[in-house]
Amino acid sequence: MTPNLPISRDTVVVGRSAKMRAVFDFLRVISGSESTVLITGESGTGKEVIATLIHQASQRKHRPFVAVSCALFSETLIESELFGHERGAFTGAVKDRPGRFEMADGGTIFLDDIDDVPLGMQVKLLRVLQNRTVERLGGTRTVPVNVRVLAGTKRDLKQMVAEGKFREDLYYRLNVLPLTLPPLRERREDIPVLMEAFLERFFRSRGEQPPEIAPVVTQAFLRYDWPGNVRELENACERIAQMCTCGTVRIGCVAASILFRAGARAPEAIAPATPSAHPPATISLDDRLRELEANLISWALKASNGNKSKAAELLQVKRSTLGDRIKHCGLGLGHPASASGDAAA
Amino acid sequence: MVTRERVEAVLERVRPFMQADGGDIQLLDVVANCARIRLTGTCVGCPSAHMTLHLGVESALRDEMPDFETLHIN
Repeated sequence: MTPNLPISRDTVVVGRSAKMRAVFDFLRVISGSESTVLITGESGTGKEVIATLIHQASQRKHRPFVAVSCALFSETLIESELFGHERGAFTGAVKDRPGRFEMADGGTIFLDDIDDVPLGMQVKLLRVLQNRTVERLGGTRTVPVNVRVLAGTKRDLKQMVAEGKFREDLYYRLNVLPLTLPPLRERREDIPVLMEAFLERFFRSRGEQPPEIAPVVTQAFLRYDWPGNVRELENACERIAQMCTCGTVRIGCVAASILFRAGARAPEAIAPATPSAHPPATISLDDRLRELEANLISWALKASNGNKSKAAELLQVKRSTLGDRIKHCGLGLGHPASASGDAAA
Repeated sequence: MVTRERVEAVLERVRPFMQADGGDIQLLDVVANCARIRLTGTCVGCPSAHMTLHLGVESALRDEMPDFETLHIN
């Protein structure tokens, strides 16, 4: 299904839906890239799984992959967690400790829940991403780090920028290669495939043959909305594997909460999008590249306060080339110079 | 108020699934704020299914009717 991606039996990233095929196509296109990827998706849609795949498909696959959830730490803790600290930096800092960025040196860092990084910390993160160096808390040494950055968010960062909750400059730094994971309810046709894959895995891990699945169970699963997405589906399958006593997955194996909510849904509301109902998903490389180009150019223009010569320098292209590219990707004339003074150095 | 109609309405949400799997869920009676049901079909003999349905149906009834008390399964 995805010949160039390292997908094993245990990393269940499956889906025949048009939306998932588009995701896989995108992953293949960016597999040789070193750029930052911003993965947006609801809780349980598989952001970390995708991040792992991106790492494994990259040149850095033999170097460390460090995943860290930014939601886990308070404002002061997160700094020491990401950048490390020196002995004596604060009470309890009894020895030098490298941060996650240093641990990921040569490899990839996945900053999940980036939307939870406090505003005060965002500027520090931006500096690190721009200079590719970290300073440990309480330290004076600047440590260079060679790290590819992937970021994950369940909220719409662009919206947060508009609300003033997320720094615009950091947003442009992160949103180089945007990847959106669809919620499970928007790709219901993948539910049976995922279900089979999970059940097979759970039964096999107990040394048993994968069971037969009564059609009505699939029906119920198709009708349910899965607010917890693939993670919830995985848990529902684990539960079935633990509780099933007769060797066939029947309606009695399904959690009542799923049954009742599935039953509250009108049958005609299911209408799983059959593959034949949709034309095969295509992805326009030109459009994607233009989008990417526009993103990078906007970032550079913002960072240089609208000064095109400076922007061209940032992008390492000639001034005249930049002009052509701006026309090419339709950014048009009179790009508003950034009014905020938070331009990059 | 716990009435036969309201209990039936809740059961009706899961009944089609039970019937599709060769079983059924029958309402025997509603007395005071309690109801008695009978489960039939393949899943009846399964202890996990029994527990799941007992607790699940009971909590769905309570969600719908806060004064619902106990569900008995015959």
